Amino acid sequence: MPADSYAVAIPVGDNYRPRRAASNSDGGNQNPTLSRHMRGSLAAQSNRIDDTSLIRAAQQGNRAAFEVLVRHYDQSVLRLALHLTGSESDAQDVYQEAFLKAYKNLGSFRFECSFYTWIYRIVTNLCLDHLRKRNVRKEDAPVAVDASGEEYSRLEQFADARSGANPERDLMRRELGRKIGAALTMLTPRERMVFELKHYHGLKLRTVGEMLNTTEETAKNTLFRATQKLRAALAEMR
Amino acid sequence: MKCDWVRQNILFYVYNELEDDARYEVEQHLGRCPECATELKAARKFHATLSELPVAEPTPNLLAASRMRLQEGLETTQPGGFWQRLILEPAMWLRQIRMAPALAAVIFIVGFGGGIGATYNFLANRPPTSDISNYDHSNPTPSVEASAIAGIRSVTQEPGSNQVSIKYDTVSTQEAQGSLNDQRIQQLLLFAARNNYNSGVRMDSVDLLTQAPDDSRVREALMYALQNDTNPGVRLKALDGLSGFVRQDPRVRDGVLRALISDTNSGVRMQALRLVEPMKTDSNVRSVLTRLSQTDQNASIRSQVRTMLAQMPEMD
Repeated sequence: MPADSYAVAIPVGDNYRPRRAASNSDGGNQNPTLSRHMRGSLAAQSNRIDDTSLIRAAQQGNRAAFEVLVRHYDQSVLRLALHLTGSESDAQDVYQEAFLKAYKNLGSFRFECSFYTWIYRIVTNLCLDHLRKRNVRKEDAPVAVDASGEEYSRLEQFADARSGANPERDLMRRELGRKIGAALTMLTPRERMVFELKHYHGLKLRTVGEMLNTTEETAKNTLFRATQKLRAALAEMR
Repeated sequence: MKCDWVRQNILFYVYNELEDDARYEVEQHLGRCPECATELKAARKFHATLSELPVAEPTPNLLAASRMRLQEGLETTQPGGFWQRLILEPAMWLRQIRMAPALAAVIFIVGFGGGIGATYNFLANRPPTSDISNYDHSNPTPSVEASAIAGIRSVTQEPGSNQVSIKYDTVSTQEAQGSLNDQRIQQLLLFAARNNYNSGVRMDSVDLLTQAPDDSRVREALMYALQNDTNPGVRLKALDGLSGFVRQDPRVRDGVLRALISDTNSGVRMQALRLVEPMKTDSNVRSVLTRLSQTDQNASIRSQVRTMLAQMPEMD
């Protein structure tokens, strides 16, 4: 039955043709490789329809499809991990763990939510783990090690790159950055996570709730608590 | 007092999280109340202050390094549902195992075949293509076209020689022919309706299932497709198949009602509406219709529902 007899636009895998006569021995190309159709239409189709074909292909073992899928999301995942952890190597670790975990668990993804939410759920949980581990060592100042092995205060890396023009303003900005960083450590991991996702990445609280496996209402309350704590902490530092 | 409510919501106002009506009320109040307006200023200042910690974009180096490291990691990881894989093209297989041309000339293959996963057991009517011990050495290149390779278990090289031994599993593509009453055909259709990533295959399976004799498993498969299939054409097909059962089976009725409320495609919702129309006197259906007459995104559906409701005698 031709699929185009319906009034709605239906994307149908075009390598498949319904066979009426059983003469053709070829069982229909199941297309494990990334067909030109997929590649060519990556620009034309919307992201969601894209992802569906890519996900299904990846679930069947097509690693190339998984890699393309990753590229749709990995920059923003890395950005989140970098801002949250404050360290390039920690961010890379979170990135690696998240996408490997996604790859291993791809079989259990049943399209009950968007892939974006699903992958972010994995990432936020890993970030929460990271924050909890860091809390255990709370007595240490937030220090990290950069690529060359030098220790540096994680908060200094947020110094404005456009330095030099106005040293006084740069100093103030660095100070402020340090204060904000310190205030953020006052939050519990969940509060930190909610605040991070809402304030620094602009996600809707409903989405944040989904990612943290809770309700929008809870996310709202958590945000409220987080901002109260932050305001108090910043006021104290003045 | 109004101010309390506004103060509680000022934060969400600043973060643009309020519903339109709440936002309107807050804005109205802020226009009249100087204290709350001060609160708003403070909240906005807080927002601006926290934004002084900029979100740095990862450097291209970092991104590239992360991607490379991931690629390496993926090579040693098996994807989820490894053993559910249907076909691995021989070309892809060969690419993964980079072999020197000299090695490629002589390949000692110790392999065994077999179906993969319990779901395919009923397919493998033939005994697994196991014993290749009497392999013909004069014809080293195996014919891999006939059977597809499901996965490579191991590749080992005999030390000090150019002999390589590879263990691999095969799956063979088979064809089943029969009528719709055939158990085997039904099993395959049920499987295909859920599991094929090609929407055309799913569509045809669901289509054929709707013609299959009344069977609770078929009904379940159709309900599953209606609720979960990403392709609206498949969902429509499933609705067609379920139309006969809407009256008698409350689960089907609930499934169709669910589709009526939450399906993202208006064509599917319209069809679901047609299916429940004969049952509009049912209280469940009525309450759904009442809500739908206001909340459905599609104007034509809303007006149709209203017409339907208007035609019903008012019941208490």
